[in-house]
Amino acid sequence: MLKKSILSLLLSGALVAPGAAIAQTKTEISFLRFFGGCADEYANVTDLDKAVGECGVIQVLTNKFNAENKDGIKVNTQNVDWNAYYDLLSTKLASNEAPDVAVMHRSTLPNFVARDLIEPIGEDLSKAGVDLNDFAKTAREAVTYENKTWGLPFDIHALLWHVNVDIMKEAGLVDASGAPIIPKNAQEVFEQAKIVKEKTGKRYMSMDARNDAMPVRVFNMLMWQQGADVFSAETGKPTINTPEGKKALDFIQKVYKDGLAVPTHGNGESSQSFLRGEAAVAVNGTWAVNNFSNQAASGKAGFKTYAVADFPPIFGKATWSDSHMWVMPKKNRTPEQKAAAITFLKYLNDNGISWAKTGHLPVRTSVLQSDVFAKLPFRSSYAQTAQMARAVPMVQNQRPAQDAMRDSFGAALLTDKSTGDALAEAQSKVERLFRRVR
Amino acid sequence: MAAKQLRSERTAEWLTRAVLVGLAALWMIPLVWIVTMSFKPNDVLMMSTAGLLPIPFTLKNFNDIFFVSMTPRWLFNSTVVALGTTALTLVVASLAGYAFARLDFPFKRTLFIVVLAGLMVPEQALVIPLHSVITSWDMHNTHFALMAPRVALPVGVFLMTQFFKAVPKELEEAAALDNASRFTIFRRIMLPLSIPALVTLGIYTFLHSWNDFFWPLVSATNTNMYTITVGLASLQGNFAQTEGLGFIMATAVFASLPIVVVYLIFQKYLVRGVALSTGK
Amino acid sequence: MTASQTAALPQDAGASLRAPAKTKSPLRRRDGLAALAFLAPYLVFFVLFLAYPFFWGIWISLHDWELVGTLRKFIGFANYLDMFEDPLFLVSIRNTLLFTLMTVPAMVAVSLALALALNRETRFHAVLRVIFFTSSVFSVTVATLIWIMVLSPDRGLIAHLFQGMGLQPIAFLGSPDWAMPALTITTVWWSVGFPMILFLAGLQQIPQELYDAARIDNASAWRRLTRITLPSLKRTIVLVVVLQIIGQLQIFGQPLIMTGGGPADRTRSMVQTIYETGFTEWQLGYASAMSLFLFGVMFLASMLQLYIARQED
Repeated sequence: MLKKSILSLLLSGALVAPGAAIAQTKTEISFLRFFGGCADEYANVTDLDKAVGECGVIQVLTNKFNAENKDGIKVNTQNVDWNAYYDLLSTKLASNEAPDVAVMHRSTLPNFVARDLIEPIGEDLSKAGVDLNDFAKTAREAVTYENKTWGLPFDIHALLWHVNVDIMKEAGLVDASGAPIIPKNAQEVFEQAKIVKEKTGKRYMSMDARNDAMPVRVFNMLMWQQGADVFSAETGKPTINTPEGKKALDFIQKVYKDGLAVPTHGNGESSQSFLRGEAAVAVNGTWAVNNFSNQAASGKAGFKTYAVADFPPIFGKATWSDSHMWVMPKKNRTPEQKAAAITFLKYLNDNGISWAKTGHLPVRTSVLQSDVFAKLPFRSSYAQTAQMARAVPMVQNQRPAQDAMRDSFGAALLTDKSTGDALAEAQSKVERLFRRVR
Repeated sequence: MAAKQLRSERTAEWLTRAVLVGLAALWMIPLVWIVTMSFKPNDVLMMSTAGLLPIPFTLKNFNDIFFVSMTPRWLFNSTVVALGTTALTLVVASLAGYAFARLDFPFKRTLFIVVLAGLMVPEQALVIPLHSVITSWDMHNTHFALMAPRVALPVGVFLMTQFFKAVPKELEEAAALDNASRFTIFRRIMLPLSIPALVTLGIYTFLHSWNDFFWPLVSATNTNMYTITVGLASLQGNFAQTEGLGFIMATAVFASLPIVVVYLIFQKYLVRGVALSTGK
Repeated sequence: MTASQTAALPQDAGASLRAPAKTKSPLRRRDGLAALAFLAPYLVFFVLFLAYPFFWGIWISLHDWELVGTLRKFIGFANYLDMFEDPLFLVSIRNTLLFTLMTVPAMVAVSLALALALNRETRFHAVLRVIFFTSSVFSVTVATLIWIMVLSPDRGLIAHLFQGMGLQPIAFLGSPDWAMPALTITTVWWSVGFPMILFLAGLQQIPQELYDAARIDNASAWRRLTRITLPSLKRTIVLVVVLQIIGQLQIFGQPLIMTGGGPADRTRSMVQTIYETGFTEWQLGYASAMSLFLFGVMFLASMLQLYIARQED
């Protein structure tokens, strides 16, 4: 009896051993992203509670996946600094060195898809168990182009209304619970600005304009709030120089010309100014929530109480957003490599709540409605944003279009160029961009 | 009359010195500012970059560089590439410069203009064709691929040609009378006389090779082939300029130290004294 | 044969050359083979890593050629014709020429003045030489970042100066009139190191005898400068001017990072437009055509400069 069991034990050992050897063979996948390089800081860390910031979270998630996955997959991360990311990705694709998994923005996706550089992975994700219906509408739209799914949505980052409550309180613009009163339309923005100036002597708003894309984002947002868009989704042609566009740019120009914000602020100077307590409100994104709240809480900032809210409905209910997503560039892959990449993507999706710690909005409705999410600081105050988030339509050349608008609108804000001229110039610049697009 | 001249020259000397000191002080302020910020915490800098004194003080930014495990490797890559480029450039440029300055051969003028024209090709225009060429030779992620394009730049040849032309012909003629070969003349006479030029070209090449970003970015894409500039940049997160300013400044100081050291060592050859020219 | 021995040789050696040669001087032989040996190492690099990619770039410029993807459509000279109808391209040319006109004289003047002033072997001068060179060791990213801060109307150093004098600070980088001069100042601060050491090297080649003779004649410092130093430096001055023209016509990092080409496209440079066309818009063919045009501009400018200086071969 004992002999038999020892024999069976030995036999099972003999069978398992080579099997284990096969499971040890690693499928390596290359992972290209920005977000920072902190591999040393988080070496061997797999505890998500220890992860801080974008880099921390994604690095720990990657470490955890590498340590815990049962399929022998190893993810090799390559981080690139944000400004150089697309230069590098394009060059890599141009020389057949595509990574297995790469990060991408919604705004740049159409460029790559139109040139057949990305794999459609909707079906693969579904088969792996990713519930595509769990994604919020905006998130789902972010990865959909020509009726196919081209990536895994990871977050939505949107514009928010960040508030220095101390100033608002001093100006008497808080409600009974001490929460700041959010303007309900354009008129109220200027009224509040006046009150703040009279009662506290401080400026109302902090928003970068010099050599900055923020006025373009706000412009887009104001167009959507009016029910219009910067591009016609049917024709793909720009619709910048329109009555809605004029209304939008006039509002932005008035904000600067009336002294609500400083047009020569650029390069993050408006955030610095806000943190020093010089303005009541900062127009900035979900990405600034942690930064602003931590600084205020630490006592080192120029104010103590920080609040954040959905962007006010200046002309309607919508806010600007973009998305991060993960894509799989087209390359020669073995089925194992493809499966490995999909497995990793599913893992990232399952752990979406961790990414929410960075201030970005999660993409899955189930996560958005979860208790864990609600417990994250400040998130409930901008709960609506995920629903009202809009993004640029799936048209190519969004980046150069944004640059063109930035330059032309900037002229209206920094020089005496009229909004009409600026809009016409932007329109013609962007139209020129499209003359070679197929 | 000589004494009066001497006095007015002395005053001029003092005045010049005063102006120089004033200008140098102003000049240094941005430098001091960079160093100061590298010793300040990132979160303090998020709110304000003002102040030329590093208070509050922190070593964290430099710590974050030194304890990145890849930093030594990246430094190694940069050193190999910068030294290699400099050595190769000095050799090939001085040889070619001598040919253009002193030798007589058919099509010399045309060839010189062709080489000079190479100065006028913008780097951005060359990157993609160069990248494809190197891809087809399967030479990416090598030190040589990072060196070669810079060695091909005509600035070295142009510089050495101009400097060799300024060497008095008499010195060579005398050697030629002794039946010295071209190469001997080059080695024994021209090279020693052009040490300031070589030092200048060497410093320039080392500096630019060390600070190169775009070409190493697209050519050396494996993490362990990164140069220090690309490597340190790759550590930056999305909002590095607002949230990681101290770190950026620390990487700037760190990356610039080798060049400053190189300059400190070699700059005395730039004013070695006119003795070099005439052998006094 | 040491240098001192050659210096001891009287004018004879020179004289025999200046007189029409009756016997062939050993150095007048044709140097074809020697030239090949001296030139070959450089030319290998030049051909493989510069000329070949350059001609490939010309080929690309005749196409609608996208950075990524497979679009490669031969369109002949269409890119070149398109260029001249492109308002952004035209304004880039204007800005680049203006910037070069502003920056080159400033750079040459400052670097020459510094070299003349610092051409001594005392420790004082050595320290100053290091200070004025150190600004050149930083990468463009850092140099521009620091100057954005220096020029900031809120908290910048220059703003403090203005406020101290009771004046309203100018927002340099946000002002259509001041943005370009601001870029010039940044560029001079950042790049004066190399021309300065070029001039220093050039100064070393001036024989001391000339100065000694001048002293014997009681020549003033000004006379020494204008009659000896500057004429002897002519070749170096030409070198620096040509390199500066070529360099500043290719200005890229400063406008891209500091102003984005703004405000109102007033500082947009040609290379910035080329880079954005190639890497942001992915129109590589079009960008290559623009590069070739810029190349032509630089070629003309330098040839003109060299012709004016009439360099003897």
